[in-house]
Amino acid sequence: MKLLSSFKKELILATRSFYFYIEIAFALILLSVLLFAVPEHIQMKETRYLYLDLPRQAEDSIIDSLLGEDTDGKIEKVFLEAGGQEYAAELVEKEAETIYLLESEDIVRTLADTQAKVGATVWLDANKELHYKYYLQGYESKRLKNLISVLHNINEDKLEQSFDLQKVRLAATGYSPLNDRENAVAPLLAFNSCLMGMFVMAAYVFLDKREGVIKAYAVTASSVAQYLMSKIFVVLLTAAASSLIVLMPIMGFRISYALILLLLLTASFFSSVAGLMIASFYRDIARAFGTIFFILILMMVPAISYFLPSWNPEWVQLIPSSPLIQGLKDIISAKEDMTYALLASAGFFAAGALLFLATDRRFKKTLNL
Amino acid sequence: MIKVEGLYHSYSNDDRYAVKNISFEVEKGEIFGFLGPSGAGKSTTQGVLTGLLGLQKGNAVVAGYDLRHPRREMFNHIGVSFEQSNLYSKLTARENLAFYSKLFDVPTLDPMDLIRMVGLEGKENMRIGEYSKGMKHRLTFARSMLNNPGLWFLDEPTTGLDPAIASTIKALIKKRNDQGVTVFLTTHNMFIADELCNRVAFIVDGEIRLIDSPKNLKLRYGRKMVDVEYKKGDVVLKDTLSTIQCEDRARLTQIIDENEILTMHTKEATLEEIFIKATGRGLA
Repeated sequence: MKLLSSFKKELILATRSFYFYIEIAFALILLSVLLFAVPEHIQMKETRYLYLDLPRQAEDSIIDSLLGEDTDGKIEKVFLEAGGQEYAAELVEKEAETIYLLESEDIVRTLADTQAKVGATVWLDANKELHYKYYLQGYESKRLKNLISVLHNINEDKLEQSFDLQKVRLAATGYSPLNDRENAVAPLLAFNSCLMGMFVMAAYVFLDKREGVIKAYAVTASSVAQYLMSKIFVVLLTAAASSLIVLMPIMGFRISYALILLLLLTASFFSSVAGLMIASFYRDIARAFGTIFFILILMMVPAISYFLPSWNPEWVQLIPSSPLIQGLKDIISAKEDMTYALLASAGFFAAGALLFLATDRRFKKTLNL
Repeated sequence: MIKVEGLYHSYSNDDRYAVKNISFEVEKGEIFGFLGPSGAGKSTTQGVLTGLLGLQKGNAVVAGYDLRHPRREMFNHIGVSFEQSNLYSKLTARENLAFYSKLFDVPTLDPMDLIRMVGLEGKENMRIGEYSKGMKHRLTFARSMLNNPGLWFLDEPTTGLDPAIASTIKALIKKRNDQGVTVFLTTHNMFIADELCNRVAFIVDGEIRLIDSPKNLKLRYGRKMVDVEYKKGDVVLKDTLSTIQCEDRARLTQIIDENEILTMHTKEATLEEIFIKATGRGLA
């Protein structure tokens, strides 16, 4: 009864404070971004600058082969502006790249430099051998540089034949491949529901500290644990609502909402208790901001690893948001084996419960803060 | 109702004590004033007795509950009014009291009755954020009565209130005390202590210097003088005479017999004067 009464009060307070609306608004913004800014299939169209220092016949032959891949089969005359100057160019628009044919190597170099794009020059030497000079940006990987080095030293026909013979099949089975939009849902959901929950929880407690109501609560016959639980329930409710706002329009009814809510709620439980614990050490939000900010950034690191799978050091997997994102991905992909997601949920619940016991003790000791 | 023996408390958990070796008892039905300047240790003592601060050293029994083994049931029997108002600013007065009333295991008073008691009727549906400081203070005071406590901790109950409202609050305290409620009153306002308290304790630098009834203190520390203002013919005269010395007593009798007395006051020492005399410290 006391818990229910505290929960109802917290719910009223939440709806009368702007943090609740921030979470809902943030969920709506995420949904808009996913629906209108993230396409189902992201295509990275590259821009290249090319100068062909070749005899007319060889140049025409290359241009003809490029035209074969041009989307409208025509070369357009255009002007490019860089460093206050205009340069004439011929534009070849391919599916996956845009190529500008330029009039000199200097122009290629200038544009590669000012536009931060790859440029290249092709020329014939006295022995009629083709040479290639690339203008890279400096941050390209060693693998790409090696690839460019070998690309022009092997038989192109053989290379193409080899590509054609390669068969690509999924090594892992038992899940539905996600499109780019669906793929972005897991880390965004982890951030929106759980990490925001931690921040909002701390904000709620600091609001109570400022008004001194924790002291007033402490001199009633209700336990501090009930006070903390009522706050957690509100954060869980908000997390569930904001998650469904993002999930339902994107994923429809293709996923198990029971499982995803189980994982999200247990993870939110853990993160909201972490928010409570942080709040117990500080008098106001300004003093706690550094700690909260650091933890939020740390929790976002696994999202980087999620989008750049080649970078996934072991320490990143120890950050609590890492199993959350992975578990969410498993559920969103409708993976047949949900053991990982269930284990992650159990882990978050157990860790949250232990942290809650410690937080309860902290709050009992720091009521006068 | 309250028994404290050798109470110490340090915020830094070392020998820098905010209160040291405090011992006193408060009888059932008594109004006990805990008086001292800011930083003397009044709030720390009240913090320990109301469970907001842990009992570190010494013994304390409050409403029959030993604070070495604190139990939440104790709060069904005590009420605490804080010096700083602490209410949910986004809830209305009625919502605030209704919420807190659900946190006790004993029958509670009707929030509207309490709102009326402190003169806030008509403002019950206003959010606390729109209340003035005085209104908040009155509602905080009202909240402390919710569970009809047998032991009532009041911290500066009339601070910041206009005289009329302060008078209402004092009348409420007296009324509830007449009904058998024990009051532990923490204040630096000697006038309210003088008016309400059966006994007072003077606390300075974390130590109790003196405990007695205001009447006894006045008898012990008062100057035992009378100020008399009288009319002799057309002239108004004033005199201050001792009530002990024979010569002055005879002179007073003569003045009364021969003149028209305009005013006459025994010149008792105020509690503030006694406090300064007994502790060598002011109340600021």
